[in-house]
Amino acid sequence: MISTSHVWLRRSAKPMAIAAIPAVLFILLFVFYAGWTIWTSFTDLSLLGRKSINPSFVGFDNYIRLITRDGFLQSVWTTTVFTFFSAIVGQCGIGLLLAIIMKSSRFRLKSIVEFAILFGWLAPDVVAAFMWNAFASSDGMINVMILQPLGFESVNLLNEYAIEVVIISNIWKGTAWSYLLFSAALDTVSREVIEAAYMDGANALQRLRHVLLPLLRAQIATNLLFVTIWTYAFFSLIYALTGGGPGRETEVLSIYMYKQAFDVGKLGYGSAVAIAMMLIVGGLSIFYVRQNKDQTR
Amino acid sequence: MMTSVKPSFTQSTSTNILLAVVIIAWLSPLSWLLMTSVNPNASGGFVVPTSFTLDHFVTVMSGTSLRQFLNSLFIAFTSATLTAILAAFAAYPFSRLNIPYKNTILWSLALLRILPQTAIIIPVFLTGRALGLLNTGGVILVLTLMNLPFAILLLKNFFDTIPSELEEASYMEGATLYQTLTHVVFPLSRAGLAVIWFMAFTTAWNEFLFPFLMLRSDQAFPMAVGLYAAFGQYGATDYGFLTAYSIIYTAPAIFVYFLLKRNLTTGFAGVGVKG
Repeated sequence: MISTSHVWLRRSAKPMAIAAIPAVLFILLFVFYAGWTIWTSFTDLSLLGRKSINPSFVGFDNYIRLITRDGFLQSVWTTTVFTFFSAIVGQCGIGLLLAIIMKSSRFRLKSIVEFAILFGWLAPDVVAAFMWNAFASSDGMINVMILQPLGFESVNLLNEYAIEVVIISNIWKGTAWSYLLFSAALDTVSREVIEAAYMDGANALQRLRHVLLPLLRAQIATNLLFVTIWTYAFFSLIYALTGGGPGRETEVLSIYMYKQAFDVGKLGYGSAVAIAMMLIVGGLSIFYVRQNKDQTR
Repeated sequence: MMTSVKPSFTQSTSTNILLAVVIIAWLSPLSWLLMTSVNPNASGGFVVPTSFTLDHFVTVMSGTSLRQFLNSLFIAFTSATLTAILAAFAAYPFSRLNIPYKNTILWSLALLRILPQTAIIIPVFLTGRALGLLNTGGVILVLTLMNLPFAILLLKNFFDTIPSELEEASYMEGATLYQTLTHVVFPLSRAGLAVIWFMAFTTAWNEFLFPFLMLRSDQAFPMAVGLYAAFGQYGATDYGFLTAYSIIYTAPAIFVYFLLKRNLTTGFAGVGVKG
């Protein structure tokens, strides 16, 4: 079954396969866990009590509950808003813009710009959460440095504008990834193409829209796919920053899932939320891949 | 590139202003962090310290917070090493042998890589509870589990780029498989192995959700959970301590990145699945 075209490996195929077994077991466990979650989503398994030992099969009850109770749908909306503004508009948009500007600019502090956005990316999620928590508090930097000098009352931004703070902190955190990727992609675009467009009289905006964006379409699509998937399931930054609150204002799907499963204790329902999340992310991925294929054809 | 063909004065000025804004927006959190951590009268506001102290760092480097720093190191180091070893032993045969359904396996690994943590967190918790693994050991195993698919994928692509003639030559010279691996293959793939190790290290170092769920005592917490517990718990926040804690927690991640900056490009190139 397992063969090789490399002569020197013919006699070594067996020890090599044996050495790979631990990793294979880990991967199989991973797949098994995913399957286990699907199975749990059809039961009323709970964290404590009788239902934690003897869960019963409830069919699609958990999934019906997803739609009939408003908690889930509300979280879908919150997550979508969060993903759209922080990942697609923020990280991808700013990342692309920055990459283009940085390539051309002769700004002396370019390395500092790069370090600045990289710092956001490298700082652990909880550190970012702590910093933005302190920033947005009523005696924090945003109030003291910006709002008070402008004559506004000092407010606790995490109470009043929680979703905005969460979105901005995620843009601050994640833009570097898109920037690095687009920066590398721009290196592959030959200078002659841009110069030719310039000679033909295209202005900066036209060069961006008709030359650069079409050339970078594949990379942009791939990056959109990645950041959407990650951001849709993002947990730690938001949880540490707001805990989903105030009320349920920033309760994205991953936090909703965590709370339903481990705070409320409904492991079955939590599993259904997790599976629904996977389906949404999978659907989005297929949409992106399709879109990209159609356009390159 | 866009504007550089022949930038006019206004164009270059406006981009410069834009970049300056970016610097201010992105570095103000960092400057606040640094200034507050050395300020004896630390507060949430943006205050330029009038006197200088390292007391906050001394406090962090003692007692429970030191313990949490060591916990983080232990978890990240063990999990990264485990990931690198397991991935290397799986990726090499994966690269050199003809395994049935190779492409399917490759794509499955890529899919597992993008699977959100929430998709497996409930079974992880249930097995952890049943096997008594709601502890540091369990956290290490889970993090290895999460990192492994991508590590194998990346390393397999890396091994593919190493010409097999070298291994053939070493075989002709009479080297055993073990000797070929340790003297030819692994030294040649140092860059790839380093990328895997450091990626796994940083992921584990930053990880919040699994240790948060699986660990219960502050003596067992890694820094991610320790920091969260500290700023979520107390009403009046001890900003000096927390900023110093944040800096110590962030430093290794940044250090590792700059150590590895050149090799990371290899990592980016290896992201794609090649059939």
